Amino acid sequence: MLEIQNISKQFNSGKSNVTALNSINLKVETSEFLLIKGESGSGKSTLLFILGGMLQPSSGTIVVNDKDLCKLSEKERGSYRANEIGFVFQSYHLLPYLNVFENIMLPNTLTGAQINEADVFRIVEELGIKDRLYHKPSQLSAGEKQRVALARALIINPSLILADEPTGNLDEKNTIDVMNYLKAYQEKGGTVIMVTHGHLADTYATRTIRLDKGQLIT
Amino acid sequence: MKLILKEIIHRKFNFLMGLLGMVTIVTLVVFFYTMTRATQKETIRLTRDMGFNVRIIPGGTDINQFWVEGYSNLSMSEEVVDKLVNQKSVNYAHLTATLHKRVQWRDKHVVLTGISSQEREPSGAKKSKMIFAIEKDKVYLGYEIAHQFNIKEGDTIAVFNKSFEVAKTLTESGSEDDVRMYFDLGTLQSLVKMEGRVNEVMAINCMCSTKNGDPLGELRAELKKIAPEAKVIMKSSVADAREKQRKMADRYFFFLFPIILIICALWLGSVTMTNVKERTPEIGIMRAIGVTSWSISKQFFLRALLIGFIGAIIGFVIGTIGSYQLGPNIFNVTKIAITPNYFLLLGAVIIGPFFAALSSLLPVLWAVNRDSAELLKE
Repeated sequence: MLEIQNISKQFNSGKSNVTALNSINLKVETSEFLLIKGESGSGKSTLLFILGGMLQPSSGTIVVNDKDLCKLSEKERGSYRANEIGFVFQSYHLLPYLNVFENIMLPNTLTGAQINEADVFRIVEELGIKDRLYHKPSQLSAGEKQRVALARALIINPSLILADEPTGNLDEKNTIDVMNYLKAYQEKGGTVIMVTHGHLADTYATRTIRLDKGQLIT
Repeated sequence: MKLILKEIIHRKFNFLMGLLGMVTIVTLVVFFYTMTRATQKETIRLTRDMGFNVRIIPGGTDINQFWVEGYSNLSMSEEVVDKLVNQKSVNYAHLTATLHKRVQWRDKHVVLTGISSQEREPSGAKKSKMIFAIEKDKVYLGYEIAHQFNIKEGDTIAVFNKSFEVAKTLTESGSEDDVRMYFDLGTLQSLVKMEGRVNEVMAINCMCSTKNGDPLGELRAELKKIAPEAKVIMKSSVADAREKQRKMADRYFFFLFPIILIICALWLGSVTMTNVKERTPEIGIMRAIGVTSWSISKQFFLRALLIGFIGAIIGFVIGTIGSYQLGPNIFNVTKIAITPNYFLLLGAVIIGPFFAALSSLLPVLWAVNRDSAELLKE
């Protein structure tokens, strides 16, 4: 499904270059649940953003479903994200002025992605936030916010979910809930690549890799 | 658009601050523009009241004789006025044909002055009259004549054996006008047997003639082309005052205008910057969803256009009301000329939104060109 070869990424930090990723090679199969672990600053999130086409690597290639991401234009990468990828972040990143329903419909509002309203009702039911549909994010608990973010990611029926510490702000119960939802998605044929510090996710993953100072060590 | 409106409602304060900036600029521009135009009208009116500053006289006039006697002892056809009007002269306004003749009346020296009842405007513009039209069988008397001979309005006097009713006795002017009798031009031409002849056309130089700093040169060059039989003399002091006042009003506006523009552009830019910074993670998530930089920019530009449009209308209303309220206290003579300028409203609703969008350009470009990963980490 996804293959990266010799991916490196350097950032300019003042006068010096900081290497965030150094010659990473990785292959992810369809319906994998891959965990990316490592210390802070090891390059986990950078790798995730590169996989999502939100960051261009300094060198190397990323092939997703036979398409080389690095050769796509900004518009094509946008279209790739809109149709293929669901992002989930630690900070949820819900739009504060939209209610739950509108936040979930956001891909439709902004990119014209085909979203059936019935699917929204089904997904909020599955995620247990049906009674919060017309609440604003400020009226939701942390766990509810993350479920909304998950719903927004799942609603486009993506082939890949990229999750950056999605349980970082959640208590244990909510963490388990979110992991269960991600697992259910993976078991239905979706691919999950998740960055995490925690150990709770280990039991859900089909594979774990570890980064250290920008290098893949396992 | 729905998304933009929801965002505006959510971040009311930021929107209101942006709106305040836009309202301020349009209010100030409308106010200063209206007041500057009023200043110019006031100046024109006041300097016009100082009298005609251009005198067109027969070409062969002996200037020494002219200044000693106060008018030319030669005459020219009154068609000189038609020529200037027909050629649409750009330099002359308020053209008024006159005939002057010094005579003895009841053993006193008086000047008979015939004034055309029509002021002609080569530009075709409608202008308020500087002269008074005198009926054919009536006469206006200068202060000294009326005073010396104890003549009252309504009395009848005889001039060259013809009776005239005194329609008006003028107030003391402290000039030769105090010993002047004013007639309708045609009437005086018949009285002194000079039909169709005049010895002076009074006028005001149009301010269009000041571009190269030599208005008299331009007046003369134009007259030479159109009516070579005449020559022109200009009262420099009156003309200079008129020109200086007008230029000062223009300088005043054109000095203030860019300052207002720059301050308000900076204001709007910083308000957009605040909005952009506040919405950094939002921009990040939009990118993650697959929205292109251009689509994200559009959100901000549409918001700015909305600020520009609403601000332009409110600013126009406040600026106009402000001019109405303050103008009459400043411009006593031309207060009636302070009117809403709907071209300004049109200009404001067209230019205002673009100005607001332009002011937002740098913050928006800065935001959409930032690294998505960086945006989402904030």
